[in-house]
Amino acid sequence: MSVSVHPPNILLVDGNEQSRQTFGSFFKGRGWSYDIVPDRTSLAGALERGTYDIIIADVEMAGPETVKTLREIHEKRPSQAIIAVSPTSSYEDALQLFRSGATDLLARPIDFSWLERVIQQVASSRRKDARDKASYRHVTREEMDLCFTSADLADLDSVSLPLVSRLVDEGMLSQNEGLKLRLAVQEAVLNGLEHGNLELDSKWKEEIATDGADRFSSMRKARLADPEYASRRVTVRLSFSDFRLEVVVKDQGGGFLNGRGGPESGRIDSLSCSGRGLALMSSAVDEVRFGSNGSEVTMIKWLDASKNKEAYGS
Amino acid sequence: MEFPIQIEGEKGYIRVTSDLDTETAGEALRSAFNEVYDQGKRTIVLDLSGAQIINSYGIGKVLMCYKRLKAENGVLMVKPLDGFVKETFELLMLDKLLPVDES
Repeated sequence: MSVSVHPPNILLVDGNEQSRQTFGSFFKGRGWSYDIVPDRTSLAGALERGTYDIIIADVEMAGPETVKTLREIHEKRPSQAIIAVSPTSSYEDALQLFRSGATDLLARPIDFSWLERVIQQVASSRRKDARDKASYRHVTREEMDLCFTSADLADLDSVSLPLVSRLVDEGMLSQNEGLKLRLAVQEAVLNGLEHGNLELDSKWKEEIATDGADRFSSMRKARLADPEYASRRVTVRLSFSDFRLEVVVKDQGGGFLNGRGGPESGRIDSLSCSGRGLALMSSAVDEVRFGSNGSEVTMIKWLDASKNKEAYGS
Repeated sequence: MEFPIQIEGEKGYIRVTSDLDTETAGEALRSAFNEVYDQGKRTIVLDLSGAQIINSYGIGKVLMCYKRLKAENGVLMVKPLDGFVKETFELLMLDKLLPVDES
């Protein structure tokens, strides 16, 4: 079976004429697509005209400002593969180049067999990214389910939401929106585990003993040791469809609207030790609503359709 | 997890060196606060520059510190905030409650 693939597309910036010819012969001999420029000014011009799988930059021969240019490229295109060619191999120089956005380093004299392996790996990885992005473009509906138990209370900060991460990666949510959403889900799960499943009353947080410990914490500890409470689960369903992201968090308690203290009204009271979870959730999404006596919370976030257009050019 | 404390004159400082979004971090704050409080300091400054994220759990712990000090006419202050932590304090109006220590 044969597989048709696009050849790597490379941009070389190198101030030395002989070196440019050597690289050119090497690229040409492998049938790769390439452009070669002599300095950072023409590098910037080439990048304005097109995109490349890989940039190879000789940081010495292309001029002293080349590292600065690499940093600017990295800031604009964080996923751009950049191989820096440097005559030195000191730790400090290497560190500076990596911090400037280099994804790999190449020392002179050039080991062309090693360079070929690196270019093939980068090209292969970029083709896979392009396939993933192309397939995700056609996803109009996606769902994922998560399940939490009381044992997860200790490390809820590590809650991972791949669906949200992908929406951030695709530019449909900003990093800040993604962070807020993750925290909103974390707050909802925490509410479900503590107020729902463990049936802890938020008013107990206000009852503080002289050693600084509160009644809420001691009751929480006792109920975590009681299988009747501790074995209950919280489920999370995330679904994305037509720019609408919906998160439904459901616990197995009786519901705080039955009289137990839950996230209350969600009004912001600076002095209260509770009630802020709902405020944080509300700030992350467009709508929050409760069902099943409070044992189910639905959060809805509308994604900006124009961001989708920018991401996909459609 | 332990948060370092420092005493300077009448003030006690607590440097929060991790995100304030877990039980462990909350307990570290409570423990550091108790240590400063037990040395008789009633003006305590939280340096939250080491925290990028704070959730309702962390906020609850901060407010417990605030209340214990207020009960004895003390004051809980914060070093200048930034990023998500600042945004969260403003959202929950905690910036009106906790004065900023500019020293």
